[in-house]
Amino acid sequence: MSARAYICCVMPATIHHMRKDEHGMEEKVLEILEEYCEEALTYTGDNMMEEGIIDSFTVINIVSELEDAFDIEIDAKYVVAENFKNKEAILELVERLVEEA
Amino acid sequence: MQFLSGGFVILWVITFALYYLLPPKHQWVVLAVASGLFYVIGTGRMPLGILVTVFSAYFCAAALARSLSAQKEALAVCMDREEKKAVKSAFERRRKRLQIFCFALNLGILLGGKYMAVILPFLRTEHLLSPAGDAFFSNIVMPLGVSFYTLTAIGYVVDVGREQCEAQKNPLKLFLYLAYFPAVTQGPFHRYEKMRAEFEKEHVLDYGRLAGGVQRFVWGAFKKLVIADRMGIFVGNVFDGGRPQVPGGIYAVAVILYMLQLYADFSGYMDMALGVSETFGIALPENFRRPYFSKSVSEFWRRWHITLGAWFKDYVMFSFVMSGVGRKLGKAAKKHWSNLGKHVTALAGTMLVWLFTGLWHGRTLNYLLWGMYYGVIMCLSLVLEPRYAIWKEKLHISEGKFWSFVCMARTWIIVFTADILIRTGSLAQAGTVYLTIPGSFGLRATLGTLTDYGLSRYAFALLLLACAIWLLVSVCEERGMDVRERLAAFPWPLRWGCYYAVALLLLITGIYGGSYDTAAFLYQSF
Repeated sequence: MSARAYICCVMPATIHHMRKDEHGMEEKVLEILEEYCEEALTYTGDNMMEEGIIDSFTVINIVSELEDAFDIEIDAKYVVAENFKNKEAILELVERLVEEA
Repeated sequence: MQFLSGGFVILWVITFALYYLLPPKHQWVVLAVASGLFYVIGTGRMPLGILVTVFSAYFCAAALARSLSAQKEALAVCMDREEKKAVKSAFERRRKRLQIFCFALNLGILLGGKYMAVILPFLRTEHLLSPAGDAFFSNIVMPLGVSFYTLTAIGYVVDVGREQCEAQKNPLKLFLYLAYFPAVTQGPFHRYEKMRAEFEKEHVLDYGRLAGGVQRFVWGAFKKLVIADRMGIFVGNVFDGGRPQVPGGIYAVAVILYMLQLYADFSGYMDMALGVSETFGIALPENFRRPYFSKSVSEFWRRWHITLGAWFKDYVMFSFVMSGVGRKLGKAAKKHWSNLGKHVTALAGTMLVWLFTGLWHGRTLNYLLWGMYYGVIMCLSLVLEPRYAIWKEKLHISEGKFWSFVCMARTWIIVFTADILIRTGSLAQAGTVYLTIPGSFGLRATLGTLTDYGLSRYAFALLLLACAIWLLVSVCEERGMDVRERLAAFPWPLRWGCYYAVALLLLITGIYGGSYDTAAFLYQSF
């Protein structure tokens, strides 16, 4: 297949598929956050763990739900304030681990 | 060597002078030498335990770093996904073995240090020790800071294994991290990556920082000498005085004073440690955030000994929950109990953390029960939390100042109940206190005999005044005010008036032991 044909036919479909998946992923992550820590959805800062928005129990429950939902393993090394600083960071972590899996 | 001793002040002043006189790139060496001197002069012993810890952590971290880089190289040439998985798990297994060896060695030092005081007398009475053996084991009874440096070293090794920091190539720098003299006795527990950056920075002399550090040190001494040690007289006479019949009310007052004594003593030590470190420009993490303003027990433990809680959360709780065993337990529980099942790993992790916290604090059954007590309360609050909102709505309870006070009072009662366990010497004595407080409170007898336990009415009045100053500062801080900054902005007569008032109160009313050797810090025995 020529590069032109790929750009015209396959690429838009792939991009559309990725966006759809990402959208689905985001929706699922937000759904899990809503169940365990509604406050995380409206939190706009960047230190959710240290500001006490999300405690260790909640982190454990969220990690367990994310592992089940996306069939990934979230190792203890990823459970740091940086990866749980806000909902965007959690989503980024899930995207990275899904990609690596 | 106590913070409140002439020897320490001399060490601090000489270290401070050399620290800013020598070229900045050698500042960390000055601190490392001072830490070594503090350890050797302070204990009068060779720092055998800490050296074993430093070298075990040093070699283990170096081996972990080598393994991680070899793994990356091996994975780079793997084509197949299954092959990658196999290579990764082979390297992980090797790293796990290394870490287990290092942890076992350091936990052995910790347990040996803590429990040798119990084992040694037994071995002596049974004549199971040679004189040489006795001398050797006597040397390892409770080495200075053993509870601190062993856990800090384990945290460092885990961080290297998790690729959260690089392995330290210079063993002297690692020694400084583990034996940094303002923190080695009782903490705070600091993280390697943050402290490495602090030690490697070049610090210039700053008057504001020096004044701030000294002020904080004096404030810590005030809490220790004027408040904690004075309360300690009453508490000691009630619990260790061997009096046959103590009214329940006196026990209640003694427990309340003990709660405050422990807080004033430990947070006073932290103020001194952070103050000394501040004069070198090195920021240690805060360990207390006014815990008695907490509205729940879990909040209390997020504000009390913050760095120990964080250590247990990161290295015990998360390691367990996200381990193979934790995951299997979670999956099996979810299968069997749909609702409660999802909390089982968190609950098991919580109980494990509190079991270790109890064992870390003391060697008696009382401490184990104390840990389990908090573990059960934490678990109950986790399980019942969703119900709270429903109950509050049904009972028409609205958030407000009154409700906040009720929640704070609930926290105080829970802590009060727990502190009886750790202050009494045995379960039998704890049982007596639990039964006497509600059973024979004796208000009249309490008021009539309050001054029979070592504190006169003037001493109580002085305590009230000191506590009022402490409360005022705490309320200001709770409202987000930086008290030291606010004081610095006062007109100079008022500012220096405040400084002199605290200093005079400290000098005149501080409880100084024989030859100005103050009582040891309470947390030093944990």
